[in-house]
Amino acid sequence: MTLRRRGWSLRQYMAGFMGVLLVVAALAELAVHSLTEQDARQAAQADATFAARVAANEIENELNAFRETTDEQAANPQAAVVASTPNASCGITLAGGIAFSSGHLDIVTPDGSVVCSSRPRPIGPVYARAAWLPIALHSRVTTAPFLDPATDQISAVVASPIAGGIGALVTILALAPVGPNLAAIVGGARQPEFLVATTDTNTVLARSLQPMRWVGTRLADTSLTRSAGPFERPDVDGTARLYGRWGVGSTTWVVLAGADRTAALASADQFASRSLAIILAGVAVMLVTAFVVFRRIAEPVRRLSQVMRGASSGAAVNAVAGTGAAEVADLAEDFDKLMESVKRELAERLTSEQKAMVSERNYRMLFESHPQPMWLYDIDTLAFLKVNDAAVDEYGYSREEFLGMTIKDIRPPQDVPKFLELIANSPTFDRSGPWPHILKDGSTIQVLITSHAIRFGEHDARFVLAENLTESRRLELELSQSKARAESNAELGRAKDEMMSIVSHEMRTPLASIVGFTELLVTRDVTARLRKQYLEVMLQEGLRLTALITDFLDLRIIERGHQTMRFAPADMGALIKRSVDLAGEAGAPIELRLPENLPLVRVDSDSIFRVLTNLLSNSRKYSPDGGAIVVGAEVVDGMLEVSVQDHGLGVPADALTQIFEKFYRVEGADRRSIKGTGLGLAISKKIVEVHGGKIGVRSEGAGKGSLFYFTVPLAQAQAQIGDVLVVEDDAGFAQLLEAELTGNGLSSIWAADAETAEHLMANVRAVVLDLLLPGLSGEIFLEKVRKQRGPGIPVVIVTSKNLDSAAGLALQKAGVMAVLLKGSDTAATAARVLAKTLGPVLVVAS
Amino acid sequence: MTSGWVNGHTPTGLPAVQTVVIADDEPSMRLLVHATIDSDDYIVVEAGDGTQAWAVIQKHKPSLVLLDVQMPGKSGLEVLRLVKADPSLAATKVILLTAKAQESDIETGLIAGADFYLTKPFSPLDLLTRVEEALQLP
Repeated sequence: MTLRRRGWSLRQYMAGFMGVLLVVAALAELAVHSLTEQDARQAAQADATFAARVAANEIENELNAFRETTDEQAANPQAAVVASTPNASCGITLAGGIAFSSGHLDIVTPDGSVVCSSRPRPIGPVYARAAWLPIALHSRVTTAPFLDPATDQISAVVASPIAGGIGALVTILALAPVGPNLAAIVGGARQPEFLVATTDTNTVLARSLQPMRWVGTRLADTSLTRSAGPFERPDVDGTARLYGRWGVGSTTWVVLAGADRTAALASADQFASRSLAIILAGVAVMLVTAFVVFRRIAEPVRRLSQVMRGASSGAAVNAVAGTGAAEVADLAEDFDKLMESVKRELAERLTSEQKAMVSERNYRMLFESHPQPMWLYDIDTLAFLKVNDAAVDEYGYSREEFLGMTIKDIRPPQDVPKFLELIANSPTFDRSGPWPHILKDGSTIQVLITSHAIRFGEHDARFVLAENLTESRRLELELSQSKARAESNAELGRAKDEMMSIVSHEMRTPLASIVGFTELLVTRDVTARLRKQYLEVMLQEGLRLTALITDFLDLRIIERGHQTMRFAPADMGALIKRSVDLAGEAGAPIELRLPENLPLVRVDSDSIFRVLTNLLSNSRKYSPDGGAIVVGAEVVDGMLEVSVQDHGLGVPADALTQIFEKFYRVEGADRRSIKGTGLGLAISKKIVEVHGGKIGVRSEGAGKGSLFYFTVPLAQAQAQIGDVLVVEDDAGFAQLLEAELTGNGLSSIWAADAETAEHLMANVRAVVLDLLLPGLSGEIFLEKVRKQRGPGIPVVIVTSKNLDSAAGLALQKAGVMAVLLKGSDTAATAARVLAKTLGPVLVVAS
Repeated sequence: MTSGWVNGHTPTGLPAVQTVVIADDEPSMRLLVHATIDSDDYIVVEAGDGTQAWAVIQKHKPSLVLLDVQMPGKSGLEVLRLVKADPSLAATKVILLTAKAQESDIETGLIAGADFYLTKPFSPLDLLTRVEEALQLP
């Protein structure tokens, strides 16, 4: 068996499914990570920008407040007084802001000396080299950075001129605390780094981290202060930060708020790792599910498939037992059932094939080695198709010669037309003969043909068994003799016992009467009246004994198969009418109910006539009070059923099955006086059975009458065709006539009475007629022949009647070919005469 | 069914007239037996089957019964057993008449209590002798 891969196996599908699952999970994790990080970055930058903006506003507002305060103090007349008066006493204070939380307020003269200060006054012209001083004597100044010599701190300066150019009021604000202050005010939870720098000189003015180190330094990289919008870059000390920026309105300063990138994105990373955990858990659940599905479906299906392919032994149900899903288990069960029925069917087929082979071999052997000739011939070409050894031996032709011949070659030429006609109309099964067949040496044998239509290869053929009549008769005789010997040995003892018993029971009583009355007559003087009475009893009992012996012997003969039955077509209606005539008028009236056109039956007429008279006689005897007896006949299931119904004493139910047994008598006071041998029904039963029919009785019970019936077979159509119709009531003479006709190459059919012959005369070419017949006479039949068949059909009369000249003349007028008086060679003469008329005489080999 | 003549009354003071019963289903046999033993010394009563025979025997208490063995109704042997079992029939003699001829049948009849056994066909004179013997037995 070739296995063809139509696609992936379930295992591969499962592996593929798991791979795809893992890839999807990984991509999902990446997407979540990237999106959350982006969101976190945007949020952090927005926060930073907002913080920068708040810080820038605060610086702006405080610078404005310090400007106003400085202006107001400079405009105060006291300031001019203090500036113009050396060593004048004064007092001023500076209120710090939130961002700019420390600083000092000074009144400075044009040489740079401080004349009044909010802190201890420094001595000397400390601000003489300050760049802002010459400008501040005439206009407002805001500048940074400036290293304050008084405090040695980098500071911002806000100054306003005192009227008349005599000095300036200067606010010096320390820058170092600004960064940490801004972080404390607006840093919020995220604690960004704040960096304030100038955009023109790129100098750091404030920083929330390490202010003492960074304030006042110049930034080498200008991109920090000049980048627009939020951005990400390393801080001045290398830390990666997310920056927002905002300018301080009235200055060139800019505020940068920078969130630590790592801290800002930490939550995003946390979220991403959580989602990774969830995805991994989902994947794990999917994998477990897939594994379970694989175990319960894919794996059982794989094992099932192994069992189905025969790779693994055992029942499919066992292969999936315990692990398979219900549907798989059902599938396995269905498969097992299927396999079971397939195995059974295969076994049956094997057995029947073997049987067929054996049977075919047996038939071939039977054919080849059968002791009688057999052959097959084509019904279209008539050529022999196959012959057996016996045919080769019997006919003298070799097998090769046979196969080159047709069936016409073994028939006499004059037979061929008739033979062809028969073949054209022959039934499936046919038994006919005797036919003359010609052997290779030219001699002729008489054979009985049994043939059967069969299909042989491409041919419509007939299978033929040819029985050589002389041979088959001899075999038959031998067989029946040996059979009789065997039977007689086995049955002798039993038969003797039976005979003894019968003699005791049935014959001793009449014998006792005869012997007893004889002795009385011999030993006593009796009156004439008594003598007559005794003699009448003796006669009656003597007759009874005779009938008993006759019936008993007849029964024995039929039982042992020694009765010669001559089966021939017969008109049952005629037999019934004759038996009614014989019964006579005395007793219950007999009524006939016979349909028109009853078909002919195949019977031994004498025997069936005996059955009919027996049944009629019983009906009369058992109808002591009269009541009509009705005799009927009808075709039932291919058999003719004859019934005799009476309205007499009837048969009790318990006797229905025993009534056909020997010597069985129904007991009862009403029938004790009815005489009989007790053998009539037993004989009738045997006769009917020999015919292949059935006999029976129906009765509603004692006093309700009874119906006896029997069946006999119908005559076959082919048994009603022949060359010569032999109308003869003497069965022995009829047999002799038929044998002589056969010897002259003529086939014949026999009718035991004229009524039967009437049905058959249309099917023959000639008639042999006896004049003394039961029922219709030969003369009347002859008239009917002439009426139906015209003057052309040859008729030969055979009779024991001494005909006067008038009768002879009448027969001659009727166109009779010959009138033969029955004698020793009558049959042979009749056959020769007819053979001469109908066809060439055949020389029969002895 | 009875035939012949029947007299149920015996004349008072006179010796009792003896009664003989013949039981056989064959009329010709009844006629033969009746003709054989016909005498003014006995009253003869006939019966056509076993049942009828037993009824007649019970009614007439006969001195002798001539019984056919094979009869419809009750068989001769059945009737014989009934007779022997009935104390009121202790004096009744029985002769069996039968078509059975085998030794075993004769033995069966004698064991059942028959006084004589005759097989058919029999000699009427022989029968007569047996009847007279039976009736004169004490």
